[in-house]
Amino acid sequence: MSATTQTDALVVEGLSGGYDRFDVVHDIAFRVGCGEAVALLGPNGAGKTTVLRAIMGLLRHRRGRIEIDGTDVVAAPPHRIARGLAAMVPEGRRLFVGQSVEDNLRLGGIRLRGDRARTEELLAGVFELFPVIERYRDREATALSGGEQQMVAIGRMMMADPALMLLDEPSLGLAPLAIADLSAALRRLREQDRSILLVEQRVDIALEVCDRIYVLSGGRIVDEGRASDMGAEGRALIDAYLG
Amino acid sequence: MLQVLLSGLTVGTIYGLVAMAFAIVFYVTKVINFATGQLLMVSILLVSGLVKLGLPDWLGIVTGLVAATVLGVATYFIAVRPVLRFDRFSFAWLVSTLGVAIVIQATFALIYGPASQPFPRGLHAIPVRLGPATLTVQEIVTLAVGLLAIVGWHLVRRYTLLGKLGKAISTDPEIASTVGANVTAFAVGAFAIGGFLAGLAGILVGPITYGNPYLGDTYGIFGFIALMIGGIQRPAAAMGGGLVLGVLSIAANTYIGAQASDWFPFVLVLLVLLLTPNGVFASGDQLRRLFRTRRAYQQGVNA
Repeated sequence: MSATTQTDALVVEGLSGGYDRFDVVHDIAFRVGCGEAVALLGPNGAGKTTVLRAIMGLLRHRRGRIEIDGTDVVAAPPHRIARGLAAMVPEGRRLFVGQSVEDNLRLGGIRLRGDRARTEELLAGVFELFPVIERYRDREATALSGGEQQMVAIGRMMMADPALMLLDEPSLGLAPLAIADLSAALRRLREQDRSILLVEQRVDIALEVCDRIYVLSGGRIVDEGRASDMGAEGRALIDAYLG
Repeated sequence: MLQVLLSGLTVGTIYGLVAMAFAIVFYVTKVINFATGQLLMVSILLVSGLVKLGLPDWLGIVTGLVAATVLGVATYFIAVRPVLRFDRFSFAWLVSTLGVAIVIQATFALIYGPASQPFPRGLHAIPVRLGPATLTVQEIVTLAVGLLAIVGWHLVRRYTLLGKLGKAISTDPEIASTVGANVTAFAVGAFAIGGFLAGLAGILVGPITYGNPYLGDTYGIFGFIALMIGGIQRPAAAMGGGLVLGVLSIAANTYIGAQASDWFPFVLVLLVLLLTPNGVFASGDQLRRLFRTRRAYQQGVNA
């Protein structure tokens, strides 16, 4: 379980970091295999978003080892990590304001701007997964409903065709119906053998979509296991942590 | 009347170019470069000095433009980047860019002295009659450059992916960096474009003002007023603010008194800030918003 193999999409070892020299996460170690979906669960303030931001290069103070697709990125700036290694659905979606759905998607794929055919192929892939937003492609992205905006945010991440997909609480603030759509879409991504790291508060979604889970509390990993092994007892334990 | 309008538009284009220089830097970095006016002065004085040394006009002009551009970028690395790296939300650039302005101004005052320096007349020596009004070729070129700046900015921003990425950086730099935007490179580019536009304004206005080290104050302030009139959020609107300021200033000179353009712009900007705080060209949005809320309110009442 601890071995570092060539096939891992993400290897994190001894990761500590935070804001202004004040560490939020301490000595984190975990991995995401290639084509594997892994969930990071934990209560508010556990440091889940901080871990994600560290992987994407958005956390300025970070130490340890972060390897995406075999490349150490612990000192890399986000725009370098964005070149095919990782792409992110940020917490709260954060679509580009004042720009259309299509422009938001194309900006997600801007690293492939020289490869027109690939970009169109990826765009078709997004619209196949989310037919709803194809109808709104010329609309201003932030004028869409919460669920539709989340689709655009996931589409924007897909457009980069990254080795690792990072999703930060995609279910946050969505209506129950939109959440059902969301977890269906995540399962589809999972079936396409994408490597996914999902941060969630909703344990049910995480267990439904992911192969393995890590539980984060107080900035440390306190538990891990296979999603399929999570019986009622495991769930109760997690629920206790999420309290 | 036509003469007032055309002269006003010409002067206004100069203010507008300085305002655009401010606005493009602000658009990308949310920083106001208070040394912008000084960059205009640098390009004028370099042309004056180099031509006096016997260099051809065009070489002086190229050097002036390059120097303004390079100084713009240098301002970013000296006065802005260190401050923002220390604290992303710091406003210390207010003082540090002003410091750069003072250093540039003092340096050129030391070299050139306070006296006015001649500037090559070039195209300004050729008058063109347009019906009852007269413009020089230089002034016509100025108007064309202003138009080109607005149209060019609009096309890049609206129709190129690079322009859209710039807009994304403007609204959310952090997320823009996660799709691959090198935010620092864009900031450097913005300061370079700002420096170039200020330098260009200097070359265009040089034959009228001649060179002196304190021009930066005047044009910096008037460019900033144009920015306030047009609205700080959109560089194209900043140019519009320059045109409004230019026409109204010349009109004030003509119809109120010869020195009216010294105080009139300040009255104008006060009025604008009182009536439409986001600038003249943002007021459309405000009106629309007002109508929309009223309509929504009425629909609510009817339902």
